[in-house]
Amino acid sequence: MNALFVIETPDEMEALGRRVAALLKPGDIVLLNGSLGAGKTLLVSGIAQALGVGDQVTSPTFLVVRKYSDGILPLTHADVYRLGSTAEFTDLELVAESTDGVLVIEWGDAVRSTLPEDALVIHIDADSDGKRSVTVRGEGEWQSRPLSELNS
Amino acid sequence: MGDRLILGIETSCDETAVAVLRGREVLSSEISSQVDMHARFGGVVPEVAARAHIEAIRPMAHLALRKAGIHSDELDAVAATQGPGLVGSLMVGFSFGKALAWGLQRPFIGIDHMEGHLFAPRLENPNYRPPAVILLASGGHSQIVHMRDWGDYVIMGGTIDDAAGEAFDKLARFMGLGYPGGPAIDKTSDGGDGAAIRFPRALPDRPFDFSFSGLKTSVVNHLVKAKEAGNLPPIEDVAASVQEAIVDVLVAKTFNAAKETGVKVVAAGGGVLANRRLRDALEQRASEEGLELCLPSAALCTDNGAMIGAAADFRLDAGDRATWFDDVDPGLRLG
Repeated sequence: MNALFVIETPDEMEALGRRVAALLKPGDIVLLNGSLGAGKTLLVSGIAQALGVGDQVTSPTFLVVRKYSDGILPLTHADVYRLGSTAEFTDLELVAESTDGVLVIEWGDAVRSTLPEDALVIHIDADSDGKRSVTVRGEGEWQSRPLSELNS
Repeated sequence: MGDRLILGIETSCDETAVAVLRGREVLSSEISSQVDMHARFGGVVPEVAARAHIEAIRPMAHLALRKAGIHSDELDAVAATQGPGLVGSLMVGFSFGKALAWGLQRPFIGIDHMEGHLFAPRLENPNYRPPAVILLASGGHSQIVHMRDWGDYVIMGGTIDDAAGEAFDKLARFMGLGYPGGPAIDKTSDGGDGAAIRFPRALPDRPFDFSFSGLKTSVVNHLVKAKEAGNLPPIEDVAASVQEAIVDVLVAKTFNAAKETGVKVVAAGGGVLANRRLRDALEQRASEEGLELCLPSAALCTDNGAMIGAAADFRLDAGDRATWFDDVDPGLRLG
């Protein structure tokens, strides 16, 4: 089941992130894909806000992983952009460490094969007019979870 | 206590750096740059970094001691970066330092990497003293710090998305200019027109915060559109314009912070300070405003062991020590 959104402003991208957060429960994995500057970190910022994270979410590219533990669910924000291989990602053991919280992975398609089937997969496409087309797809048990709440 | 012999170790990211200090005098400062290794991947690759640190740390420590003409027995203390940084990389330097100190039966102390950058200007500039405003800009961090006293810091602002160095790295990669992005863009900018393209200067609501995400999006959009139109601008103009947009914001916010706090001393540190345009712009602005600018040499701006030793000297004076049970803290925060 797919949900499609057209996002016109950075504020709308954060708002979509907040609605995504409302769907999340412990152990959930969210994969984000989209080109440089598409708005992936902005969407995570919205997720973090809705989870009650007090800190500003900043790009995890340099550190690869940033963890936020002060929200209603622990949030692990990873970015595999700089990793050279899937082995380097599995070495981090993020899935095992995130069972009590939410794991969000930027450039997630690159490590999809190493992850559990159950995941919410989000693709952000930049249109030539600056708008963003966002596709949200549930995989595995997410297929039976309602994505319609994202529209509210 | 000014003549304490300290070994300073820094392995938070892509440099294995070890220095020997006698008080504030740098006897040796060795940096085994891993930039060649990373250039192949276009970024800092964590596992590669950790493995390279393991191979480099012992030879680097030996080299630093030999160049300083010091035997390890003579050391009074050992210091290593505790965080923030890449966990695997931090562990190599921190564990090595702890083990060495244990073996020598000397005090060991973990240092906040950012506090290290705050102490780097002290090694070269006798006029550097609090109160001061310091711009810290690197691959992982962009902050403006108000140092009210040694050891007393207020973070006035920071990035709300990408760090300045990260913006350089990502845009250099997008433009195919290589890694690290700061020097690559600096070099490509030679002869380019920084006013060719007016990229946006993001000025978030909070006056001392940075945002570079919008710049990234704007450059990508601009180049994609130009390419579609078969009208790509000269790469040196794009590089110079990107550099101008980043430098403009860093300089403006730093001096706004100096004005707000009323300090007379401005300093800077972090790898982004290797950028010549940024250094020139800071110098020009400081002289216009009649402020003392303390800009460490490029070797002390980028990550190095001497700054860790300098901060350790202060911390040891204050009576701080690590315990043998202390560990690295990748999410460590100043203040």
